[in-house]
Amino acid sequence: MNLQYTGEEKIPASLDKVWAFVTDPQKVGRCFPDVVDVAVQDATHFEAIVKVGVGPVRGKFKMKVELVPADSKRRIDMKMSGGGFGSTVDLTSGADIVDAGDGTTLLKWRGQAEARGPVAAVGGRVLDAQAEKLIAQAFGNVRQQLTA
Amino acid sequence: MSIQAKPLHSVGVRMKRKEDPRFIQGKGNYVDDLSFPGMLYLSLVRSTYPHAEIKSIDISEAMKVPGVKAVITGKDLEAAGLGWLPTFHGFDKQMVLAIGKVLFQYQEVAAVFAETRAAAVDGAEAVQVDYAPLPVVADPFTSKTDKVLLRPDRESKTNHIFHWEVGDKDGTARAMASSPKRIKQRLWFQRCHPAPLEPCGCVAYFDTMGRLQFHVTSQAPHVYRTALSLVTGIPEDKIHVISPDLGGGFGNKVPVYPGYVCAIVGALKIGRPVKWIETRTENLTSTGFARDYHMDVEIGATADGKVTALHVATTADHGAFDAAADPTKYPAGIFGIVTGSYAFPVAHAEVDAYFTNKAPGGIAYRCSFRVTEASYAIERGMDILADELGMDAVELRKKNFIPKDQFPYPSALGFTYDSGDYHKTLDVALETIGYSALLKEQAEKRARGELMGIGFSTFTEAVGAGPSKHFDILGIKMFDSAEIRIHPTGAGIVRTGAKSQGQGHETTWAQVVAEELGLDPQTIMVEEGDTDTAPYGLGTYASRSTPVAGAAIVMAARRIREKARKIAAHLLEVGEADVEWTDYKFQVKGVPSKTVTMKEVAFAAYTNMAQIEPGLEATYYYDPPNMTYPNGAYVSVVDVDRETGETKVRRFVAIDDCGVVINPMIVEGQVHGGLTEGFAMAFIQEIQYDAEGNNLNTNFTDYLVPTSLETPHWETGNTVTPSPHHPMGAKGVGESPNVGSPAAFVNAVIDALSPLGVRHIDMPLSRDKVWRAIRDAEAKKAKQA
Repeated sequence: MNLQYTGEEKIPASLDKVWAFVTDPQKVGRCFPDVVDVAVQDATHFEAIVKVGVGPVRGKFKMKVELVPADSKRRIDMKMSGGGFGSTVDLTSGADIVDAGDGTTLLKWRGQAEARGPVAAVGGRVLDAQAEKLIAQAFGNVRQQLTA
Repeated sequence: MSIQAKPLHSVGVRMKRKEDPRFIQGKGNYVDDLSFPGMLYLSLVRSTYPHAEIKSIDISEAMKVPGVKAVITGKDLEAAGLGWLPTFHGFDKQMVLAIGKVLFQYQEVAAVFAETRAAAVDGAEAVQVDYAPLPVVADPFTSKTDKVLLRPDRESKTNHIFHWEVGDKDGTARAMASSPKRIKQRLWFQRCHPAPLEPCGCVAYFDTMGRLQFHVTSQAPHVYRTALSLVTGIPEDKIHVISPDLGGGFGNKVPVYPGYVCAIVGALKIGRPVKWIETRTENLTSTGFARDYHMDVEIGATADGKVTALHVATTADHGAFDAAADPTKYPAGIFGIVTGSYAFPVAHAEVDAYFTNKAPGGIAYRCSFRVTEASYAIERGMDILADELGMDAVELRKKNFIPKDQFPYPSALGFTYDSGDYHKTLDVALETIGYSALLKEQAEKRARGELMGIGFSTFTEAVGAGPSKHFDILGIKMFDSAEIRIHPTGAGIVRTGAKSQGQGHETTWAQVVAEELGLDPQTIMVEEGDTDTAPYGLGTYASRSTPVAGAAIVMAARRIREKARKIAAHLLEVGEADVEWTDYKFQVKGVPSKTVTMKEVAFAAYTNMAQIEPGLEATYYYDPPNMTYPNGAYVSVVDVDRETGETKVRRFVAIDDCGVVINPMIVEGQVHGGLTEGFAMAFIQEIQYDAEGNNLNTNFTDYLVPTSLETPHWETGNTVTPSPHHPMGAKGVGESPNVGSPAAFVNAVIDALSPLGVRHIDMPLSRDKVWRAIRDAEAKKAKQA
């Protein structure tokens, strides 16, 4: 099943500071909700282990993540894929980063999730809300970390 | 010479099932009950993707899981020449474990062998597969475009598997064009799954003689032995297939599955017994589904309702491999039975099958190959025609039934119907249900705006495949066999090439032997499923048991009777020509006081046989001269809640003509079971895939099986027109209710909704679908007003 989401975060930090944050795998990885472990491979690749609970499907997902920053500092894409216990999730998300001019930065994000396996089979009922919450939380965490 | 205490006839008796004491006490012997020293467990890694390239498979983590002994992949099997196995249809092959790419979600990708079932599952979980997703083809109509080629391994570079047709194409087109009345409707018989309560499974090991001992949930053990020999190269004498008690089969246990091959390879490689038992999810998602036929039904008729032509064009979704397990010359099975019980002067049926990224199958779920689909098409079609003509559905059927004096009847699509009296069977059904009173009630309810429907299905099926000139699987002709041995005390054993999955063979076969030989059915043992002891047969599916194996038993028993006659003549001290078989014993012609029983003859066969060859046994291989044509008239009465879309089957009458009935109680049980399955397909069951190829019905919370709470009360009955093409006149019944009932349910619901202008809804008729149809129809009416 294919799910799509959008949202926006206003971050009280400069564009440069936000950019430095979102292009750092270690920092981005830690923003995933319920993250257990982050193993950075290189500047744009890392693996994250996250706890997942969708209906009867509960356990740890191992996700491979690739960051694709655009040089202009205006946009970053993130591709994630992985899964566990017979299920797979492919997530693509992207954020447009906009200097609001008042020392804050806007993170306009959109996400797309494709789930397969038992997770998808229960998806119609619970996955949609769950996936949106996870993605929104991840970007919310970016704001929180930068605000702190 | 002896006095019989009670009448000896055994056929037609409601004898209690001999197998039931062990089944109802939990003492059945199923494959999963078996355990051998050192036995390992197999768990399969399955694809999460419906269509993807396999970039890599990393087994290193799996090998570290405590208890894991070995992991094999498609590449390992390919290297051993076992990468692919032929499907039972014979024109395609199926990957045992994925090679290069996966073609459906839950496809077998790697096999993990471990000391315990839990360790095997943990090991499977630890196998890391790196997939690169490919575009998914989730329906046959997309597949048709060939934009994504699913099977580049095949010679023909198309997703189109086959085109099959039967009948007079031009004649049908002409007759259709000149018909004053015509209807055309697309009917989809949704993808279903037989879902036997016991899933598929096996235990494989090589014994001290190096012989493969293969215990497996198979409906066709001999075919497995031959197929395994052909696939693995193991000489057939070194393979022993044993099918113990089966907890249902319904066609799901006919094909050979990748798990079986993996278990055998594991047993060979590791040198220990290997057990593989499917989970429920694995059963529903990877082993033999049924149906998935999109049928465009077109019927022509005169203005007064005489049918003139039938055309059915079908788009079939076969999934990733053509594993439909049909007879070689019948890629669309016996779909040609689609003219049903009606005297169509001309007809044309065609089927085009396509690959999709879905589980392979298309097996005969409790029906002769594709007969349920065909029966649904014609029985729905006749109702739609009745609606078009403004005619009563009963009147239309009666007007077009094949008259009883025209049997054996050659159908427009090439079948020779053996016998039947369709008018009588329908009349019995109408009387049982009280049709005229129901019509009155319906008229009153309609006047009040209430929704009540009466639905009919007057189907004919063709079962008992089949005559060797037409039917084979992998080249093996579809005969069946029986071997009977009568012991000195008059007890005996019968073995057949069939295999009971719950049908009650242990009782029915004993009754048949007892009837033919005048013996006590309680002392006739039935043994099936062991290829070392049973004569070669093609197994139980397509209602073959009674029409083919049952006939073989009758013929073997008659051979025994011929031998027994010689011994009887010796005992009665007369010439053989002076001995006749009458009233279940041998008698000197014209001298009723000079008799000898079969029991006495049996004793003499071992103790006092004079110059006659000792022993009393016979084997018979029966090649049926024709199929048999069970038929029935089913009526259902359904109330539909206009507000909620809820349907309630208030009554259901099933009158079956299965020819001569061997055990009326078993026939009733069969009809009850099949009707319950038909009810499930009509109202609640579907294996759904989303557009991305995800299987959405992977367990019993999503794929529903009716319990006693949902199941309606069944009212059953019989008419009997003996089949002239079966030595006992029997036709078989196990599949009739599954074949005949879906249309009766749907016709009743549509009849209920017809005042709103609803003409068709595809199964399953779930509450939400019915509710939506009612709302849409009301909205349409409001708009027109």
